[in-house]
Amino acid sequence: MDAVTPTRPARLRLRALVWAGLTGLLIGSGVECRAQAEPAAGEHAVKAAFLYRFAGYVDWPASAFAGAAAPLTIGVVGAEPLRTELQEVVRGRVVADRSVEVRKLAPGEPLAGVHILFLGRAEAGRVGALRSWLQDAPVLIVTEADGALAQGSMINFVVLDRRVRFEIALDAAEKHGLRLSSRLLAVAQKVTGGTP
Amino acid sequence: MLPRVRRSIRSKFLLVVLVATFSALAVAGTALLVYDLRTYRQQWIDDLLTQAEILGRASAPALAFDDPKSAHDNLALLKARPGIRTGIIYNARGKPVARYGDDTQAPGLPESDGVRVQGSELVVFKRIVENDEIVGTVYLRAHHELMPRLIDYLSILGVVMVLSLGVAAAMSMWLQAALTRPILAVTRAAREVMERRDFSLRVHKNTEDEVGYLVDAFNAMLAELGRRAEALEASNRSLANEMAERERADDELRTLNVELEHRVADRTAQFEAANKELEGFSYSVSHDLRAPLRGVVGFAEALLEDHADELSTEAQRKLGVVRHEGHRMGVLINDLLAFSRLGRKAVQRGELDMAALVRSTWSGLASEREDRPVELQVGSLPAASGDRVLLGQVWVNLLSNAVKFSRGRSRPQIWVDAISDTKEVIYFVRDNGAGFNPTYQDKLFGVFQRLHDANEFPGTGVGLALVQRIVNRHGGRVWAEGAVDKGATFYFSLPKEAMDGTV
Repeated sequence: MDAVTPTRPARLRLRALVWAGLTGLLIGSGVECRAQAEPAAGEHAVKAAFLYRFAGYVDWPASAFAGAAAPLTIGVVGAEPLRTELQEVVRGRVVADRSVEVRKLAPGEPLAGVHILFLGRAEAGRVGALRSWLQDAPVLIVTEADGALAQGSMINFVVLDRRVRFEIALDAAEKHGLRLSSRLLAVAQKVTGGTP
Repeated sequence: MLPRVRRSIRSKFLLVVLVATFSALAVAGTALLVYDLRTYRQQWIDDLLTQAEILGRASAPALAFDDPKSAHDNLALLKARPGIRTGIIYNARGKPVARYGDDTQAPGLPESDGVRVQGSELVVFKRIVENDEIVGTVYLRAHHELMPRLIDYLSILGVVMVLSLGVAAAMSMWLQAALTRPILAVTRAAREVMERRDFSLRVHKNTEDEVGYLVDAFNAMLAELGRRAEALEASNRSLANEMAERERADDELRTLNVELEHRVADRTAQFEAANKELEGFSYSVSHDLRAPLRGVVGFAEALLEDHADELSTEAQRKLGVVRHEGHRMGVLINDLLAFSRLGRKAVQRGELDMAALVRSTWSGLASEREDRPVELQVGSLPAASGDRVLLGQVWVNLLSNAVKFSRGRSRPQIWVDAISDTKEVIYFVRDNGAGFNPTYQDKLFGVFQRLHDANEFPGTGVGLALVQRIVNRHGGRVWAEGAVDKGATFYFSLPKEAMDGTV
């Protein structure tokens, strides 16, 4: 349940303990108000920001990084506008003492050194091939296609009530050795699989 | 209340206990109250900060992922804390994302981190930081419930104080009964002693503490006082007796004195009368004797002058003896008259140059030593105060005596000198004549007392008695030293402070 990465300052870790109690109450308090809507303007920007922020709520196994100074890499397949946006967002940013890189990836390209993989809507068809592509690599898969979770995606963006929300497949993430913060789960629109 | 307190130890004691209790409780209560209110407020602040922190942490993902509903749900949990009136979560751009409670006073924009007291309210702003990034701000406004707590506290303090004072008063009354009863007993006894002057009173002792000691000391003092008073009374009584006795004795003495004085006066009067009678008698005898004597002597002389032719030589010789003895008797009578006159004559005092008096007397005696020269040496004689005629008579008698008794010497000498001390001057006349037997020294100054044969040294035997009488009347003394054929010295003293003595 601990959402804190090992490198966070001790101060925050203490607060997290206090916070844990409250979080228990919050879980499952999400209200269903699902509605179909057009993608809002600047949706890419929102998603790019979310992508970057996800990094703060996920724990990768130590083997996922080449070294202590290795950057955290976000691979983007397709969705070129979003990648441009993301490039802007991560500039100069640091997540858990690691700099953040954005890499443009072609489908099937080796995923060594990639920690987050985003599949644009255009690449929605490839979601099914994800399992063979990823193998067991500790990579967080983020998609923006309906039903992607069932096909192996871990976090899938949905737009509800003109707001960008996301759903999480906990079991898929755990299968790849990733630990998702319960605080992230708390704001997810839906969480499937796993035992939260 | 105050006059009562001043009068009674009990009230003072009670007042002391109550004041002490009240002060202790008031100080302790105030200290506790201040401490508690400070702690309470600090707790409130800490609590509110913790709430803000928790809310911030919980709402960070909601802000990060733009989920106002989740933030709103978090805020809704504040319902569990009725003290918190308002809660607002702002996003990173300062726009309120979620609100809770009464937000009419809510600020439009978040302020920097901090706690603020607004009257009875606490206001907290807390930044929400996630991944070293400010994602928003939490605003909480809570009612600062100081007043009810203060009132609660004060009422508890009041109740505690009333109870404590009650207990303290009860305890002190119970205790002071034990403490003050003996003191009150002493006070009562002291008052009775003062009013009745009865030192036989005693205080019953029923405690062994200082008060018990006081009771003992008081009793001992009473006993001592009683003893002293008794002793004083006894001594007063005996003193009064003594005084009365002494007065009686004084009275007796006075009576006796008066009696004695009367008797002395009587005797003196009798003596004086007798003396006067005697003097008058001797004077008249001497005076009356002179007239027939003058007749005898006169006719004897007439016979010798007118009838010498008719008388034989033998008759003439015998008639001569009659005449001579008649003369001698006349001298004797004159001396007696002078002696008795002296008792009547007052002493005329004056300053006297004794040396001059001796010299004039000496030249007056020239006829007595015309047959043979006598050497006289006079020392420096101090002046004297006395009667010129009487003291002149003293010198006449003493000097003629000395001439008379040194007649037989081949070279008769007479010395006159004086010795003086602080009180008196002693004059003396010394000769180298016949002297006298010291055995009869005390008879020298008697009337008609003679130590020598009248044929050898003629005289009446009155001279030295006259000297003694004159010197005594001047307050002095006379005495003599001498031995047979070794000369004689006659002394007389005159006091320097002349006394008007009468014999």
